[in-house]
Amino acid sequence: MRMLPVLTRLAWRYLWRNHRRTIIMVSAISVGVWSMIFMTALSRGMVDQVIEDGVSALPGHVQVHNPKFLDDPSVVNRIPIGDAELSRAFSSTDFKAWASRVRVPAVIASEYESRGVTLLGIDPVAEREFGYLSYDDVEGRFLEDADDNGIVIGRKLADKLETRVGKRVVLMSQDPDNEIADRGFRIVGLFDAEVPAFEEGNVFIGKRTAQKMLHIGDTTTEIVFLGDNYRDIEPTYDKVLASIDGSLDVSRWSEVATYLGSMLTVMDGFVLIFMVVIFLALSFGLVNTLVMAVFERVREIGLMLALGMKPSNILGQIIIESMLLLLVGLVIGNLLAVATIHPLRGGIDISVVAEGMEMMGAASVLYPRLYVSDMILANVIVLFLGFLASLSPAWRASRYEPVEAITKVG
Amino acid sequence: MNKRFVLPVLLLVLPCMAAGEERDATDIVRDAVDHWRGLSSYTEMTMVIHRPDWERSMTMRAWTKGQDQSLVRVVEPKKDRGNGTLTDDDSMWTFSPKVNRVIKIPSSMMGQSWMGSDFSNKDVARADDIIDQYDHTILGRESIDGIVVYEIESVPHEDAAVVWGKEVLKIRDDHVVVEHAFYDQDGELVKKLVSLDIGEMGGRTIAKRQRMGKIDKPEEWTEIGVIEVEYEIELKDSLFTLSNLRNPRD
Repeated sequence: MRMLPVLTRLAWRYLWRNHRRTIIMVSAISVGVWSMIFMTALSRGMVDQVIEDGVSALPGHVQVHNPKFLDDPSVVNRIPIGDAELSRAFSSTDFKAWASRVRVPAVIASEYESRGVTLLGIDPVAEREFGYLSYDDVEGRFLEDADDNGIVIGRKLADKLETRVGKRVVLMSQDPDNEIADRGFRIVGLFDAEVPAFEEGNVFIGKRTAQKMLHIGDTTTEIVFLGDNYRDIEPTYDKVLASIDGSLDVSRWSEVATYLGSMLTVMDGFVLIFMVVIFLALSFGLVNTLVMAVFERVREIGLMLALGMKPSNILGQIIIESMLLLLVGLVIGNLLAVATIHPLRGGIDISVVAEGMEMMGAASVLYPRLYVSDMILANVIVLFLGFLASLSPAWRASRYEPVEAITKVG
Repeated sequence: MNKRFVLPVLLLVLPCMAAGEERDATDIVRDAVDHWRGLSSYTEMTMVIHRPDWERSMTMRAWTKGQDQSLVRVVEPKKDRGNGTLTDDDSMWTFSPKVNRVIKIPSSMMGQSWMGSDFSNKDVARADDIIDQYDHTILGRESIDGIVVYEIESVPHEDAAVVWGKEVLKIRDDHVVVEHAFYDQDGELVKKLVSLDIGEMGGRTIAKRQRMGKIDKPEEWTEIGVIEVEYEIELKDSLFTLSNLRNPRD
């Protein structure tokens, strides 16, 4: 350990003796690290957006349903507990936000067209917190309370139906006896959503109006709860589980939307694999550089050994050399990544390929997301695997026979 | 008249007058619906569906009883024979011998075409919605060939499950509907049911031939012609059952 400063100095000087080779290697590492971080941030941004949009479109981080509802979402499989009783049950708990709502498939019809949609009977006051819609950005107005007689639909849906604010549409669904339940509604507002499917597929009416229309008293089909963050919902989940009737189905959003849930897990794995693959490509260059550096200095190393330097110090010196190389590359790479991601935080317009992204449920603006954890992961991977890669040339250098090495013609 | 009495009397009379006006229009519509359907009826009719590049024709038998029950069964052509539609209250079922299944028409299909025609399932199942889900006002009356024809504007109630902005009916004094026009909410005419031939049949004056067509597609229409009709006949309740829809016992 005493030798460390000396070795580091030696290693540093060796690096810059052949500065052209070092610069090439450093830039290779920088570009590699930059691409690891930058590409990860891009794909994180994309996936996060899909997930967040998906979660907010569900919406609700923890949801309670009748166990049969997820397989057959009809009012027959509603929650047998009325709203009055729910309010009593949850009044003593401190959820960030909760709401009960009616969510059933329905058909919306105008004079010219009809479409299948998801009917959401909501209490707009209770659901404001969920934030899947900005009430103020609605053209016209959003629902005012649970007794509102109006309907709010997406702009794309309105275009398809050839209707607009102020006109009437008919909503048809089924009541618990499988009889037709229908009613006319006047469109009071049009909303825009990032994800076209959300805009086309959902219509909002007052909760009590929906209950009246479907003849279900004050019952609903789902109760939703908001956690602090969609990645951290366990505390909310446990609290809901504790305070609700055991016969009901309590699920996390990742269970309701298994596609989104698995996407999150897959993404974490993908990031790791992606980084390792990039490093593997890099490591060939690194090993090659180190092997070259050792070959070049066979006589020198022999001389140092002959003068009494311990083989372990030779080993250490080569490894330190490789670590310095990597560190310089990492610093530049990280700075480069931050410098390129930062100006793009406002989003990258990818509307050229918007149609393809729509199919994935993504919006047409991509916001790169730089996670500190991803950055650390990239650095750790590079340093750790770089260390492993430099072991072999370093080992070889330390095993030279001094006499042979000095006399080697090279 | 004593001044003190004028106001109360006015208050009494005014609503009556208003109500009287409204009742009139509603009555005319109700009478027209009742007249066309009767307390019970049996009809044999043809339905011609016309499109720019093809046309097909079907012969059907229909039974109705009261306001709610009806049964329609296809007789010709042979490949469609046995196809039937039963309505009871607001529900509707169809039966097709080819698949040997009775299907209840779900709400999602109520807006769709009935047997491929220009009528929707809703037009067939919910024909008498016109009476109580609308506000009717008389727009005017004119005399055509010595028969008074009322023009009635029917505006659906705010929460009625009707997509139209308004419907305008022309109903003759003898309860025959001459024309039934459907307007969208901008006041644009969308489709129209016109009686092409009015005459005596089954002891009543009825529309013998009616054509339903969309205004923006004049080449597409459906025409219903009555071949034979009987009114006020005895019909068993068992006629309007699912088992009869499936296995006709004529």
